[in-house]
Amino acid sequence: MSENTTPTGYKSVSLFRKRLKRFRSIKRGYYSFIIIVIAYIISFLAPLLMNNKALLVSYNGRLHFPVFKYYPGSYFGQDIYGEANYRTLKQQFKAAEQSNWVLMPPYPYSPYESLTDPRGSPPNPPSWQHWFGTDDRGRDVFVRLVYGFNISLSFSLILITCGYVIGISVGAALGYFGGKFDIIAQRFIEIWSSMPHLYTIIIVSSIIRPNFTLLVILLTLWGWISMTYFIRGEFYREKAKDYVHAAISMGASDRKIVFKHILPNSLTPVITFAPFAIVGGISALVGLDYLGFGLPPPTPSWGELINQGVNNIFSWWLVLSPFSAMFCTLLLVVFVGEAVRQAFDPREFSRLR
Amino acid sequence: MGGLASYFIRRFLLIIPTFLGITILVFCILQIVPGGPLEQEIMKLKAGMAQMGGSAEVGGGASGSELGQITIPAEAMEEMKKFYNMDKPIPIRYAIWLWNVLHLDLGHSYVYAEPVWDVIKARFPISIYFGLIGMIATYSICIPLGVFKAVKHGSKFDLLSSVTVFIGYSTPGWLAGLVLLVLLGGGSFWDVFPLGEFRSENWYDLSWWGKIVDQVHHTILPVFAYLVGSFAVLTIMMKNSLIENIGQDYVRTAFAKGLPEKRVIFVHALRNSLIPLSTGIGHIINVIFAGSMLIERTFNIHGMGLLAYNSILNRDYPITLGFLAIGAVLGLLGNILSDIAYALIDPRIRFK
Repeated sequence: MSENTTPTGYKSVSLFRKRLKRFRSIKRGYYSFIIIVIAYIISFLAPLLMNNKALLVSYNGRLHFPVFKYYPGSYFGQDIYGEANYRTLKQQFKAAEQSNWVLMPPYPYSPYESLTDPRGSPPNPPSWQHWFGTDDRGRDVFVRLVYGFNISLSFSLILITCGYVIGISVGAALGYFGGKFDIIAQRFIEIWSSMPHLYTIIIVSSIIRPNFTLLVILLTLWGWISMTYFIRGEFYREKAKDYVHAAISMGASDRKIVFKHILPNSLTPVITFAPFAIVGGISALVGLDYLGFGLPPPTPSWGELINQGVNNIFSWWLVLSPFSAMFCTLLLVVFVGEAVRQAFDPREFSRLR
Repeated sequence: MGGLASYFIRRFLLIIPTFLGITILVFCILQIVPGGPLEQEIMKLKAGMAQMGGSAEVGGGASGSELGQITIPAEAMEEMKKFYNMDKPIPIRYAIWLWNVLHLDLGHSYVYAEPVWDVIKARFPISIYFGLIGMIATYSICIPLGVFKAVKHGSKFDLLSSVTVFIGYSTPGWLAGLVLLVLLGGGSFWDVFPLGEFRSENWYDLSWWGKIVDQVHHTILPVFAYLVGSFAVLTIMMKNSLIENIGQDYVRTAFAKGLPEKRVIFVHALRNSLIPLSTGIGHIINVIFAGSMLIERTFNIHGMGLLAYNSILNRDYPITLGFLAIGAVLGLLGNILSDIAYALIDPRIRFK
């Protein structure tokens, strides 16, 4: 008898495995998960795919890697101050018909440069060069969307990680120790959670221009609360079960009971709510950026683009393209969330007739 | 009933520390940071004095000198500090503010030069108008839809309508409104709806029929934004709640004693499944009050949300604080209201 089989002869599969298998069998959610993970990984390579710095320059028989190193324009014989302009350099090399060449990224524009090549004053409508047009400072919208995707998702992931760490710790402590400590802390949480948090966050960030870290801290100040309730409830329920009593009677320490026995058994709400928390985090960031109280400029941000769209209502691409990006991202995450919920918490609805 | 009464008394008493906590926090933040009303006033005064050139009060020499070199006479400075209560330490200032608030005096707005209470009061009906219509629209669509989805669980209609729910989950309401505004607001595509605002500028000159048409015209898109904002959550809540109830024993009993299916579902199960939705009653106050900031900003509706937003931008602290105070109290009252509704509707609920 191998260790994975039960005395009855059936193979024993852990609960988590079963859930994972169930999740994989829900095709829509599973494929959405794969797509969003791949897209997120690719978005980290954005500096190599979308940039105004060349990947590779062969100049006078030597190879250069401008993506990783700064070269002044004069180095390549360009008559400009500051960094070399690799798009014009490519054309110059081509015109000179020497052995020099430039390898640009597939989409050769950076999210921070104000472009001068489209005709007319910015914002410029979509064209073959700039797929989603340019914003009101002449920056390429498509590039900013891709960089913004990475920032939004990273922001949301970091935000829920922070919120979860605090929420789970507090909830676990409340649920495990209970008693007076629980009652007093509950009152405090009640007071804290009834503050109008979004308004307070806006007031604070109108005064201190927040950076990435500060904005995460500000949103985490209230973001941990909801998870605390779930974990506290789970701990109360699990604490009363036989396996915990068994562990206590065997003399296990508090630490061991909490981390080894109860915690792994009470993580279901953590996992099932995570996708919806990601949606909430992205929406919050976009909302704050839209109101102008989010990440500082010139950070590529969806909300900031939408804000430009409101001020330039005729430039439809400034609203519709970030909206589409956000919608697709959130839709994929919601699909994942729905599948995770089904896999972890399958509710069989019984019905007469 | 004793438990319930003491529960609500305790809830009411909790309003006090909550209110003090939030207002002290924000008050201190607003007072400590630079760029407050006093600094702005000083800047304005200095700029004015610099324009006047070498007038008697200017200490820093000839006109065109740097603003920093101009000194404001000490008495004027004192007077200004006194006007903004800046001559006292922060705890005293807070105490004065709190004392006035308890007497329903929220101070004077710096920007509108009117009592804060009057400014807020003027905006209140506009926010209520959109919030209330939005809420009615939301409930009158989501509840029937949720019920229908639950009754026909697994049917084609259920699956198809789930698409709208997924769309609702992944679109913030204000953004849905903005997208429609771009598409239908006469920008680059179709000109069906006006570009926001509460009503047209010439509204008072219109005939009574024109007034109605104009008002409806301005109402549809913002209300749609409110609708999208809570559509998915409410529909799914309704559906799950009803489905759960249909699986309960009392429904089995009702079927067993031979009641028709319609009566069992729509009278027995539906009534019980509406209970979780009643929690929303208190939540509505928050939506009307603060949740509307994004939508009002999008549609340029001069309601409370936009007022609060602008007050933050303009550093009009009396309004910022007044909005916060009213919002905190109403939000807390709303929470209690939900609990009361909950307890009244569901006698099984026992509060401790």
